[in-house]
Amino acid sequence: MTSRGPGQPLDSVPSRLNPNPNTSIVLTVLTAGFVVLAYAFARVPARPGLVSRPPLVSREALAITPGTVRVSAAELIRSGGDVSGLDCYACHHKDSPPEIKYDAEHRIVLPKEHADLIISMRNCSECHPPNDPVKLDYDASGNVIVPEAHKGLLAMAHGHTLRNNNCYNCHDRDQLDQLHTPEGVVLKFEQATLLCASCHGPTYRDWMAGAHGRTSGYWDRKAGPMRREECASCHDPHAPAFTGLIPMPGPHLLHPLPQQRQVPPRGPDDHDL
Amino acid sequence: MTSDATGSGMTRRSFLRASTVLSAGVAAIAAGLAPLRKIGQFSSVDEFLQKYYKELTPEEMKAVLARIEDEVQRQYGIRPHVRDYRPMNGVEFVYALNLTRCVGCRMCVHACVAENNQSRNPEIQYIRVLKMPNDGTFDVDKGDHNYAPKSVPQAGSFYMPVQCHQCKNPPCVKVCPVKATWQEADGITVIDYNWCIGCRYCEAACPYYARRFNFTDPSIPPDQLNLNMSYLGNRPRRKGVMEKCHFCIQRTRAGRYPSCVEVCPTGSRKFGNILDPDSEVSYILTNKRVLVLKAELGTLPRFFYYFDI
Repeated sequence: MTSRGPGQPLDSVPSRLNPNPNTSIVLTVLTAGFVVLAYAFARVPARPGLVSRPPLVSREALAITPGTVRVSAAELIRSGGDVSGLDCYACHHKDSPPEIKYDAEHRIVLPKEHADLIISMRNCSECHPPNDPVKLDYDASGNVIVPEAHKGLLAMAHGHTLRNNNCYNCHDRDQLDQLHTPEGVVLKFEQATLLCASCHGPTYRDWMAGAHGRTSGYWDRKAGPMRREECASCHDPHAPAFTGLIPMPGPHLLHPLPQQRQVPPRGPDDHDL
Repeated sequence: MTSDATGSGMTRRSFLRASTVLSAGVAAIAAGLAPLRKIGQFSSVDEFLQKYYKELTPEEMKAVLARIEDEVQRQYGIRPHVRDYRPMNGVEFVYALNLTRCVGCRMCVHACVAENNQSRNPEIQYIRVLKMPNDGTFDVDKGDHNYAPKSVPQAGSFYMPVQCHQCKNPPCVKVCPVKATWQEADGITVIDYNWCIGCRYCEAACPYYARRFNFTDPSIPPDQLNLNMSYLGNRPRRKGVMEKCHFCIQRTRAGRYPSCVEVCPTGSRKFGNILDPDSEVSYILTNKRVLVLKAELGTLPRFFYYFDI
């Protein structure tokens, strides 16, 4: 440790920063190079946010079973509705078919666990003749009072604030089994996906690209068809939010869990499976 | 020598000594070979002498597949269809999982068990679903595997399923002392169950806890056996070998989606060929916010988490 005077600068030879003249030349060239590169980067146009690409789903594929308000399957069967579109094998496997029971009038008796199963099979025009618009009543806060006849038939919960419970936001006033977008484009029920798209644009974009919604079948288009689901196959249009699911069993545990454990003590060498 | 040569050539003493030593030696050898009596897990000499997967000629592979079909038939009473699916040209598989949509219902876990002939007791699961606190962390140590509420999703948490990430730089492959696990051309890391010695180095090396070990003989009810089998995929394993997710090789190499993709009720799981610019996964990786789990480890997974928002 050499002692240093109080006023003495740390670097006592600041006269020549680059003692070697070659160093100065190299540094100048490098600086010029970086400036040119920076200018070039600034000139290159920004990458577009979205890549335009052909949709995976053709317009022809936008065909769901025409017709309907989504009611629970049990409700539909009780009311003697058309069950021709009820497809047990959407979930059940054909190799082990469910045992289907019928009552005296040859109506399917649904097991208890399917009581809240939703299918879409009822025509508005069964009850509502065309050009006979229903007058809606509103409560004090401006929400639609769901008509008595629809209680128990329709779960109304579209949107967090229930602001979209106004029937005529989607249904045509004069002909209830026709739909119309906010812009006034009239759509049939089988084009319901386009109606959803008129508000849920980003979700529709993702769905068209295959990033939203269920997919099954073949990823390889040459090997076989890919099956996509329409909006209304998974979401009830009147109450689109998913209801809770019962979780299936978790991992096999060799030892019972300590009950009161806030954060499981888990390190890289400690795992259950 | 000279003393032995006298008389009859063998005294009573030398006979007793020699016979004692001889019987002790035979007993020692028999005791040494005793573990071989338990070698029953090699059901045939052919299996014991089987060559490494990559060295099998097409004819030999055909014989091996027929032998495996015989073995499964003998054990389960049903004849499966075992095939050796090879990688497809111009295909690299990538998986994307939407963390915004996953509700943690574990349907994928059990569809996987059924598809891939995992042991049912004890049940081996390739997918583990972590219930994570919704506080902006991706610290898997804060995850809970064993949640069992009446209904999912629960407020205040999100769900992160973890399975084999099919890394491009797989630590499990590097540590295998016998090269029983390797990465195929389409990105799937596979295991030759006949070559695995069960050292579990790969299980220790995997940062995603994706590998499972058969501590006991797997038990599968014969009526639940998936008969569409592949050599590197879902053919029944045996005690003492590793196994893990292989992107349902018997489905995906035939052009189909993996079982977990098909069963997901919320459509959170996406799968496809990243080399195809029109595939779903290409769209997701181009346009969505994507997360790689434990990216700092440099394993370069082919499994991506993404968000809708």
